[in-house]
Amino acid sequence: MRMHGTAARLGLVLAAAALAVGTAACGSSTSTVNPDDPNTITVLAGSEVKDVQPILDDLQKATGVSLALTYTGSLDGAESIDGGAATDAAWFSLGNYLRLLPNSSKRIVASNKIMLSPVVIGVKKSVADRFGWTNNPNVTWADIEAKAADGSFHFAMTNPAASNSGFCALIGVATALSGSSDAIDTGKIDTAALTSFFKGQTLTAGSSGFLADDYVRQQDSLDGIINYESVLMSLNSGGTLHESLTLIYPKEGIVTADYPFILLNKAKLDAYNKAVAWLLDPAQQRRIMSDVSRRPAVPGIKLDSKFPSQTLVSLDFPSKLDTIQSLISTYLNVVRKPASAVFVLDTSGSMDGVRLDNLKHALTQLTGGDQTLTGQFSSFRSREEVTFITFSTQVNDVKTFTIDDTNSNGPDMSAIRDYINNLSADGNTAIYSALEQAYSTVGQEIATDPNRLYSIVLMTDGENNSGAAAGDFASNYQSLTADVRAVHVYPILFGDGAVSDMKAIASTTGGTVFDAQTTPLDSIFKQIRGYQ
Amino acid sequence: MEMAPRRLAAIGLAVVLILGVGFGIITSIHAGGSSGSPAPQVVTLHGLIGSEKAPFFADQSVKDALLKGGFIVDVQTAGSRQIAQADLSQQDFAFPAGIPAGSKIKADHAGSTTYQPFYTPMAIATWKPIISLLEQAGVAQQRSGYVALDMDAFVKLAQKGTRWTDLAGNTAYPVSKSILITSTDPRTSNSAAMYLSLASYCANSDNIVQSDLDVANVMPIVSPLFLKQGFVDSSSEEPFDDYLVQGMGKSPMVMIYESQFVARAAANDGSITSDMALMYPEPTIYSKHTFVALNDNARRLGDFLTNDPGMRQLATEFGFRTIDAAGFNTFVKAHNLSVPATFVNVIDPPTYETLEKMITNLEQQYGTP
Repeated sequence: MRMHGTAARLGLVLAAAALAVGTAACGSSTSTVNPDDPNTITVLAGSEVKDVQPILDDLQKATGVSLALTYTGSLDGAESIDGGAATDAAWFSLGNYLRLLPNSSKRIVASNKIMLSPVVIGVKKSVADRFGWTNNPNVTWADIEAKAADGSFHFAMTNPAASNSGFCALIGVATALSGSSDAIDTGKIDTAALTSFFKGQTLTAGSSGFLADDYVRQQDSLDGIINYESVLMSLNSGGTLHESLTLIYPKEGIVTADYPFILLNKAKLDAYNKAVAWLLDPAQQRRIMSDVSRRPAVPGIKLDSKFPSQTLVSLDFPSKLDTIQSLISTYLNVVRKPASAVFVLDTSGSMDGVRLDNLKHALTQLTGGDQTLTGQFSSFRSREEVTFITFSTQVNDVKTFTIDDTNSNGPDMSAIRDYINNLSADGNTAIYSALEQAYSTVGQEIATDPNRLYSIVLMTDGENNSGAAAGDFASNYQSLTADVRAVHVYPILFGDGAVSDMKAIASTTGGTVFDAQTTPLDSIFKQIRGYQ
Repeated sequence: MEMAPRRLAAIGLAVVLILGVGFGIITSIHAGGSSGSPAPQVVTLHGLIGSEKAPFFADQSVKDALLKGGFIVDVQTAGSRQIAQADLSQQDFAFPAGIPAGSKIKADHAGSTTYQPFYTPMAIATWKPIISLLEQAGVAQQRSGYVALDMDAFVKLAQKGTRWTDLAGNTAYPVSKSILITSTDPRTSNSAAMYLSLASYCANSDNIVQSDLDVANVMPIVSPLFLKQGFVDSSSEEPFDDYLVQGMGKSPMVMIYESQFVARAAANDGSITSDMALMYPEPTIYSKHTFVALNDNARRLGDFLTNDPGMRQLATEFGFRTIDAAGFNTFVKAHNLSVPATFVNVIDPPTYETLEKMITNLEQQYGTP
């Protein structure tokens, strides 16, 4: 299906609304939305405001104004607004992309910060005690870097290209390690210091919420997690941690998310003003503090005692999109641990034709074909290992590529494109045999190179009808060593794929399902790259 | 809440940003309410105003007073720089924040008349520990009843890239950031343009920047004052709100309109705490809100805003100074605010054209698309 102009833009928004599978994927909170209702504001929102929904339900009761939230990634959302997507408003934890992209910045009618949450680091209590970080106001990002570099500190952080908590953390760390606390500029990025810092990052994810869940799952092999203060507070009160997290606010400074609610459609100004006036009312601001652990955004409201009252030094955002771009690309291609991405691809008979064409297109986009920011950030990265495992009646092929040259026309990307273009479809569907192969491949790789971030993507359009059964795979998985079991499968729901099977695979392995039945495969692959 | 919610809301809320093209925020200011009986002949006037005055025109008692005077005022808001370049053919008046934009509009519209109903000096919202540090560094001095920031000394300090941690004996604010005053975006906002006017005067050996040579000489000195801040907000409410909400760690010094601080302090809503302090740049510069009447009805409104005692009183309550200096002094005394009654050292901004040259130069350095 090809759409054009407004229809295509609307389609993008509606498609995002339909993405309601799994914890990490996106979703809409409303079923029937009439965008022409003057009291309905359609909002493209980040998953980081999901927990505010009960308060928005009361906003509707109190003022008659309803916010119809559709969740999407922050950069993704900004790009679609920049491209003209039909939405009345935007609500992400940060407004920087919307303000810096040329077209979206012109669409901004009004903006109000609704609440605040600094991005800080939660360190396991015993670890904080051992490092002398408990009740110590002088801990710096440089101290954390030193512990990460010598291998004694392992932490979780989201991918800064996909998630604002990771983005805030990257700005904070890069600024602090640049030698002064002034807003970072391209020339001041200290890649050596950042490389040692990110030696400690052993868990990544495409969203702050998924990262928190994954931290709970893998807490015994981690020492800490970078996330919003509010997320860390709710982890501490959630009853799922074996050990509480000590929140560290590094001395050089931190970056605070301010959740600007941004109006794009002038026609909804009245409803917008009502909603903002209600949300910024002291009573609601106090409720936001107590229910969702965000700090108030309006002056004169006393901070709840659960927040530390120390002066928080605030680090500034760069003023140029170029700087952000080069910082993220330095992170992805130079300083983070390299990824090892395994793509398990269904080449059974049912994939023949348009489905295989779509898959080829989506994968080709990752070889540098997409010049948008999200496209650049989701391309295969320098130092990455990309493995394709194709299967039909049985596992057909295991092929690994290593990326040294990220140039779209260079030999590495061309080799991947050639491989993808030569795929053909025939035969039955041996999903679980292919997954067993994937874990066997990953297991061998981990044994030789444990310093990578591993992930498995499963792309299938049908149900298992060949080879190992679901139960075989489950017991095979349980027999693996813990480090291999820690690798997640991210199944893509596509064609006639079975929701329950995909969900079971995700839940067994700690992954999450991505729904390509209602969203173009290209965007699904981009989203998944946030998790790799 | 000690204060009437109406006024508090007017001061605190309505952060309405206009960026990019097309001002177009329509703040419909039709007089509602029941108080007062309309004057016999009421005219509706349309105007394009600086966003910092939106709360004033949105206030119910202001609307009531205007209606009594025979006016319904319908305003759209925009940045002052944008107002100066806007098509005003559908407007009765323009009301930018500063003289440069006001005089540009007057020059472009034959037969227009300007009024300056109220003004406010530029001021710096800061903190008592910061003032002590700046005093020790010889950059700030106590004057009678207020603190002055020596702008020449400050610009020199900033030019050297001095950080807070470089100040001798600094234990109060051990932050490794360059000593900078937080401002708004000079590309869109008048308060940043006022700061640019002040800083360029100091960088030009205490002379108002006039020639292209002056511009070329001062830009390397003043540009870092803006560019080193990183991302800057577009409206004057935002950095002041950040100061009030996020504290000294976010905003050690913020360039604001004095009126913002005075209005907040007078509101007595708990947002101004005992460690906050107001400091005045020396020299300072006035933001003279310039009302440009494009027709006779608008001239009547300009006259009313300037000379009606009730309007002056309302402007005073919003923290503005008017020709009624005694009224302002009574108001600030009543709220226990220590602000200077008069200023000795006040400079004029450069001409609109010169200011534009400096802003355009900054725009290029920001790499504006």
